[in-house]
Amino acid sequence: MVETVRHFFEHLLTLSNPFWLYYPLCAVAAVVYKATKFDDPRQIARAALHFFLSVTVGIFILAAVFYAMNRFF
Amino acid sequence: MIDRSPESGASPVAALVLAWAIPGAGHAYAGRWGKGALFFGCIVGLLAAGMIIGGGTVIVHRDAQEHLELWWLAQMGAGGATLALTPISEELARRGGQAIYANRYREVGTLYAAVAGFLNVLVMMDAYVKLAFPRDKREEEEETKKKEAS
Repeated sequence: MVETVRHFFEHLLTLSNPFWLYYPLCAVAAVVYKATKFDDPRQIARAALHFFLSVTVGIFILAAVFYAMNRFF
Repeated sequence: MIDRSPESGASPVAALVLAWAIPGAGHAYAGRWGKGALFFGCIVGLLAAGMIIGGGTVIVHRDAQEHLELWWLAQMGAGGATLALTPISEELARRGGQAIYANRYREVGTLYAAVAGFLNVLVMMDAYVKLAFPRDKREEEEETKKKEAS
């Protein structure tokens, strides 16, 4: 199990696809989307951070699931 | 169609068109300068980042086979900025030749520019709706009272 997790992170870091570039894109999308919903800058920042973290964690979980499926099935 | 906002006198349609021509201009026109600046920075920033990441070849309206690029239609959401960058990008793409299509960074740059276009459509809709259907005055008064109390 530990070996699989280690391999997963190792695989992420050595991908030829520049996946880390999707994070700034996601952050900007979160800010713009939430700025259309709220007027108060603090509310915008809080909601955008929440949105960004939800999307990031969601994508990370999906990546882990696909990785596990690819490795074990 | 609502031509004039009953409160400010600003036209929602003008805000929509301005927001398409210059990201954030619709909000600035409606007097929301802060939001206008935020949207301008975010959307033009995304387009610029996309151009830099993709080597300047990401906003082309025809591919190597002269087919219409569907990405470009998405990027056109950012209107004026995309139109201004298209000839520059097409010139750079022509110089780069077929090799540019195999670049993964170009794919990411294209996505950046396309997301900028989609986000600007959202911003345009926001600029229009906020003027065409302003919030109930009573609702605003209640919000002001809450802010004063806190």
